[in-house]
Amino acid sequence: MSIKKINQESLYSWVDSLIRKQRVYGVQANGERFAFAPLTDARLLKLDYDVTILPPKKYLLPQREDLMEFHIKGEYKSQVEAEPFILFGVHPYDVAAISQMDSIFCADNYDVNYMSRRHSATIVACDVQKASPNVFAGCLNTATVQEGFDILLTNIGSQYLADARTAKGEALLKDLSGDTPTAQDLEKREQVWENNQRLLRKHKLKCHPDELAELLDRSYYNPVWEEKAKRCFSCGSCNLVCPTCYCFDVQDDLNWDMETGKRTRAWDGCLLRDFAAVAGGHNFRRQRADRYRHRYYRKGKYIANKLGKIACVGCGRCIDNCVPGIANPVEIYNRLYMSQKNIYVPEPATLMRVLPMTSQETFYEVRLDSGRELGHEPGQFVEISLPGMGEAPISVSSSPTQTGIFQMVVRKVGNVTTALSKFKPGDKIGVRGPFGSQFPVHDLMKGKDILFICGGIGLVPVRSAINFILDNREDYGQIIIMYGYKSPSERLFAKELDAWRKVPKLTLLETVDCPDDTWTGNCGVITTLFPHIKVDPARTSAIICGPPLMYRFVVAELARQGFTDESIFVSLERRMKCGVGKCGHCQINNIYVCQKGPVFKYADIKEVMEAL
Amino acid sequence: MSKPRLALFDFACCEGCQLQIVNMEEEILDLISVVHPVQWREAMSEQSEEYDIAVIEGSITRPEDEERLRRIRERSRFLIALGSCAATGGINNLKNQLNLKEAQRIVYGDAADMPHLDTDSTKSVDEVVLVDFKVLGCPIDQQEFAYIVRCLVLGKTPEIPTYPICVECKLQENTCRYEHGEICLGPITRAGCGARCPSQATWCFGCRGLSDEPNVYAAREVMDKYRKTPSDLEERMALFCSKPRYDHE
Repeated sequence: MSIKKINQESLYSWVDSLIRKQRVYGVQANGERFAFAPLTDARLLKLDYDVTILPPKKYLLPQREDLMEFHIKGEYKSQVEAEPFILFGVHPYDVAAISQMDSIFCADNYDVNYMSRRHSATIVACDVQKASPNVFAGCLNTATVQEGFDILLTNIGSQYLADARTAKGEALLKDLSGDTPTAQDLEKREQVWENNQRLLRKHKLKCHPDELAELLDRSYYNPVWEEKAKRCFSCGSCNLVCPTCYCFDVQDDLNWDMETGKRTRAWDGCLLRDFAAVAGGHNFRRQRADRYRHRYYRKGKYIANKLGKIACVGCGRCIDNCVPGIANPVEIYNRLYMSQKNIYVPEPATLMRVLPMTSQETFYEVRLDSGRELGHEPGQFVEISLPGMGEAPISVSSSPTQTGIFQMVVRKVGNVTTALSKFKPGDKIGVRGPFGSQFPVHDLMKGKDILFICGGIGLVPVRSAINFILDNREDYGQIIIMYGYKSPSERLFAKELDAWRKVPKLTLLETVDCPDDTWTGNCGVITTLFPHIKVDPARTSAIICGPPLMYRFVVAELARQGFTDESIFVSLERRMKCGVGKCGHCQINNIYVCQKGPVFKYADIKEVMEAL
Repeated sequence: MSKPRLALFDFACCEGCQLQIVNMEEEILDLISVVHPVQWREAMSEQSEEYDIAVIEGSITRPEDEERLRRIRERSRFLIALGSCAATGGINNLKNQLNLKEAQRIVYGDAADMPHLDTDSTKSVDEVVLVDFKVLGCPIDQQEFAYIVRCLVLGKTPEIPTYPICVECKLQENTCRYEHGEICLGPITRAGCGARCPSQATWCFGCRGLSDEPNVYAAREVMDKYRKTPSDLEERMALFCSKPRYDHE
């Protein structure tokens, strides 16, 4: 099978030539969102879309389709469609969903109405170029796919790679003029795949998808069903936008001659009130909560038992389209997972790398032995456990975009951290978490300039946010990092700081309290850096993390610069023993820092006694 | 079998739903191939006292209207409530939120005390007589009316959606009106119109009335998420859903 490297222009002329030959359904703008629609001009294609409102299943199992025509005397005439068409620009998670629908409609009773359309379809897949707000395909192994399509397009910068994987795809690609990709091009494509596995994780599943069936077995009476169903409209939106939902209703309608008519099938949804109601009035899923629960069981258990794979591909459409905001499968499955656990028992993990950073601080890279992702957000912390020594709350320092491991930097100050400083790669530790609130990188900080103000090891949690922002660079404006520390020997992440200096639209300013002979930079407390920066407080979020004394001075300086209390975020330190809002040590007035914090909006704690 | 005789009567309404039937144009020929119209003010001058199917348009707002409606019911085998006013009371329900004297004064000013302008609370047709079928909407949907007539002639109970508008809105791939910062009554309004208003880029007014078991509790709860208040919702519901049947399961 062949791979061709093509530029935008040859892609357009190729697509236009396809349009002349057969029906092409491609992704196009639909208001501010996107939809698959009949394509008349290649230039209307939006291959950099995030997600479509409805999945492309609508061309394989249409919203409404005729199954047969009939005559009331008892004559039936089957209706099966078989006109060839191309689905252009299908994202990997939707490819995975179509593969699942294929298994369903193929198995047991072969559904010729679906399968005939499916065989008429040529699927041109396209790797995701922009993550949608709620996608979590990365957690379900559907961020990239290697089968289930005919051609795969991947944007590798200014050009696309078009990769034919079937004879059908190969035939289409014949008309396309392009170059043979180099090894570097293929490497770039590998990089896109790797990035997408990391970046398409706007929600993080705490357990492995294969564990869901068993988890649900034990969750039938969980209070979450009633709690969420109270706010459920039973509107079926979560069903209808789902690429793996395929339930339908069948209805007859007569023509005006009152003799001939059609039997049609139309999408239905198990959330709808009368979905399981029978003639005579009995409804087998009468309560809202019955129907609400059924969806999660069907996705996570019933289909999983049948096909060996859960019926969710992580497209996030159900979350996008639920008006009351109760349809997030990750939230529900995580709730169930957490409610089955003794929350005080750590899970085993292994130190992958251990590097001394300063005389006091050590860098650790950790992998959870279960293989699951930690699933943290920038600003959150974990409890590190050493049996016999106890536990200590430690900030996560790596960005959530870095998968497979997480990183932390620990200063040896107490029993646990001093013992940990002697650990070597390969040694085992225990981990609980992640816990606490996050820097608001997904909402309040988005689209803004960001000013980071870090003192000493305050850089450790902030580094997670900085690297997250650098991995999602187009979502944020200018970045200014002010970093102060006692002496040059206490400078953390030296190599990374130097790399940040080279990033466009990023300014890094450093200062030390006690310079040595080698130091040529700024001396003095962190507020002495303010004269060197220019910020527009109206469009900037300020993040402060450092020793307690620093906050008062920095906040006062920000106020002088014109920052409002709403645009300042602080990360507070407290004694956090349990991490789950129970033990009481971290409490400030009525606030548990381990839950509502450690990251707070300054406006929210400004008036709270004892906070700062 | 001879064609059933159909008569159309109007009560308190704008007669826009009758007009929707008149506007079916050529399809009227199909309609009269299955039913025989004997009284229909907007389409013919003849009148008749003999009919099988009575189609009632408008809501019931005066005692003498109730008498007239009962007589029609006695003479007919089937009775269809046509349009929101007949089926749910429709916009006329707004009057029920006011003191009747006050309502009369707002509408008729100084003439409000004239005896022939006497008024009563608004009632839907089924609050006075038994209704066999309802054609919802303000105005009705022509295709739904046609479907219901065909079902009636065939002897089949029409399958009218019990679920909310959101279903039809999603099928048409509309962007949710809440995403546009609007309060839309779609999540609690009965489907069947094909999400006509959201498909024309405006919020659902709720003209088809509430769906079965509408989750009005949830509708109030979500106001906060969209930076609106429950009274914003109530104001919007007043137009077509002013007899709130809140569902607190």
